[in-house]
Amino acid sequence: MTQQIVEKRAGLLVSFWNWVKLISKDPAGLLGLVIVAAFVIWSLVQGILEILASVLKDPRLGWLLLPYNPFAQNLAGAFQPPSWAHLMGTNYMGQDILARILYSIPYSAAYPAFLVVLSAILIGAALGISAGYLGGWWDEILMRVTDAFLAVPAIILAIVVSVLLKASFTGMIYSFIIVWWPIYARLFRAETLRVKAMDYVAAAQLYGVSPIRMFFRYLFINTIDPIIAYAMLDFGNVILAASILNFIGIGLQPGLPILGEMASDGVSWGFPKYWWWAVFPSISILIIALGFVLLGDRIQDIIGGRAAY
Amino acid sequence: MAGRDFAIFVIRRFINAVITLLLLLLLMFILVHAIYTTPIALARLYAGPHSTMAQLEAIVKEYHLDAPIYVQFINYLINVFSGNLGYDPIYKEPEAYIIMHYLPITLTFMIPAVILTVLVGTALGAVAASNRNKWIDYAIRAFYIFTWSSPPYFIALLVLLVFAFWLGPYTHLPTSGYVNPLLSRPKVITGWPLIDAIIDHDWSYVNSYLIHMVLPMLTVFLYSFGLYTRMARNVTLDVLESDFVRLAYVKGLSRRVVVYRVGLRNALIPLVTLMVLTFALSWTGAYVAEDVFDYHGMGYITTVAIAGVDPLMVYDITLFVGISIIIANFIADILYGILDPRVRIA
Repeated sequence: MTQQIVEKRAGLLVSFWNWVKLISKDPAGLLGLVIVAAFVIWSLVQGILEILASVLKDPRLGWLLLPYNPFAQNLAGAFQPPSWAHLMGTNYMGQDILARILYSIPYSAAYPAFLVVLSAILIGAALGISAGYLGGWWDEILMRVTDAFLAVPAIILAIVVSVLLKASFTGMIYSFIIVWWPIYARLFRAETLRVKAMDYVAAAQLYGVSPIRMFFRYLFINTIDPIIAYAMLDFGNVILAASILNFIGIGLQPGLPILGEMASDGVSWGFPKYWWWAVFPSISILIIALGFVLLGDRIQDIIGGRAAY
Repeated sequence: MAGRDFAIFVIRRFINAVITLLLLLLLMFILVHAIYTTPIALARLYAGPHSTMAQLEAIVKEYHLDAPIYVQFINYLINVFSGNLGYDPIYKEPEAYIIMHYLPITLTFMIPAVILTVLVGTALGAVAASNRNKWIDYAIRAFYIFTWSSPPYFIALLVLLVFAFWLGPYTHLPTSGYVNPLLSRPKVITGWPLIDAIIDHDWSYVNSYLIHMVLPMLTVFLYSFGLYTRMARNVTLDVLESDFVRLAYVKGLSRRVVVYRVGLRNALIPLVTLMVLTFALSWTGAYVAEDVFDYHGMGYITTVAIAGVDPLMVYDITLFVGISIIIANFIADILYGILDPRVRIA
């Protein structure tokens, strides 16, 4: 057992490449990996540029890599259909839609997804593992609380919480953090119940390891695998959910382009005559979510042992 | 004996549903009180954004918003169970009255959509599972992955484009509203406009209503189709790999009989639980579909309430959505007990 753990830690990079190879064996998995990699790299690069732009107070940095300034208005060039000059056309103020989509991806898709899934994993791990390991009344209370949360779809609960939080962008992210963890707590609890019965946990108990060490080195490490596969799928879910909230008018920042909001504007004012206005933002969300779904499915196949490898 | 067992099972499930409802109410109550920490802030929730300080203080007094939290919770429970969900500051009408007006309109197109999802999804899931890794399996999987990972408004957009724009000259489907506004609403009997119109033999109203229902129904169907079919396929795959299916093959039954009689019948049992999940999911689809098609139901009043800063309305709508899902869950539990006798004993 110790040897296994040591091997795992020695070759983090090697095992990363092994993972990439394993995932790429399946064409759908490869497609998902490519989409997700492109999404992550773009979000990092563009996100850093946007942060630099606001820190250095030089907004031009924000559209350094983009074909156009996403905020520049040009009423004479409004409602242009897709062409070589404007690959995805222009909206009602003549703003380039491709530039607006690329500009908005870091903060309207990557940032909420990363923050929400990470916090859900942390809260879910803390509550789920403690419930599964300790059992008793704590377990009972926690399971009833998750029951209450799961009685209503997370998106609808997120809508009401973010409306109570004044429907702002940060309010939307807080609301997702509040409603997104119960399913992770359930998953962690189920996994903990499985791991708890293992000999090495009993051995560790006999050895008298500290609760913190028990939590991180024995329970968290050994329960995380299926949760990572689920979290991969869930990145896509959060991006979709956030875009739904944006679509119905929650979490908007006046002046900032947001994917769901662009789609909403396009649907209500420009559809179907100016179809590109709504269709391209929607398709970009579709592609991002598709990438995470394909990748998550593939990882689940590998971990679950259904795929031959 | 069997009848008595079943009665006990139903009562136990019912108590479970009531407990879930109480937990949901407690959760919503805690959420509100964690966000609006002072009595005045709470009063503003009830009085609307444009209220004066004197009004707010009057509301605090009237509703005992400065009482200890457990007293407030008990008051809240009493109010909810007597049907008093508050008085809407924008519409100037009781919340329950407004919601009971819009709820049937949403459910009228949502329930057929869910039934359609279940029928088509179960069938296609079984077809995909029995033809595993053949082209038809890949086609069905590609289709459900597409609808699963696309945002619901994109599905609504495609539905609009295909059925109302390209096929518009042939289908003549309306794209907004839930009925022709020139027709007068049939007199209220059940509160469900479609059923009232049928009882009233108001066929022009029924016709108009059904035509308006098509596009949002298709959207919700396609939106929930992805999740359901994916699960149906997995469940059928699991069943097809089980021992009793192998036994059926050994007995010499044909593949068709094994898959669609033996396999599918046993796959239906876990699928009952998935139907509730589909119902819950289709609420999200309904919100968006109503926004796109201007269909005046729950989703429409939600978006109006969001735009008009009316958190109380959104809060009460969520409560109703939760209650509808708890009821659906209860029905599914009973169905589960009828289909699978093992559940009743446990």
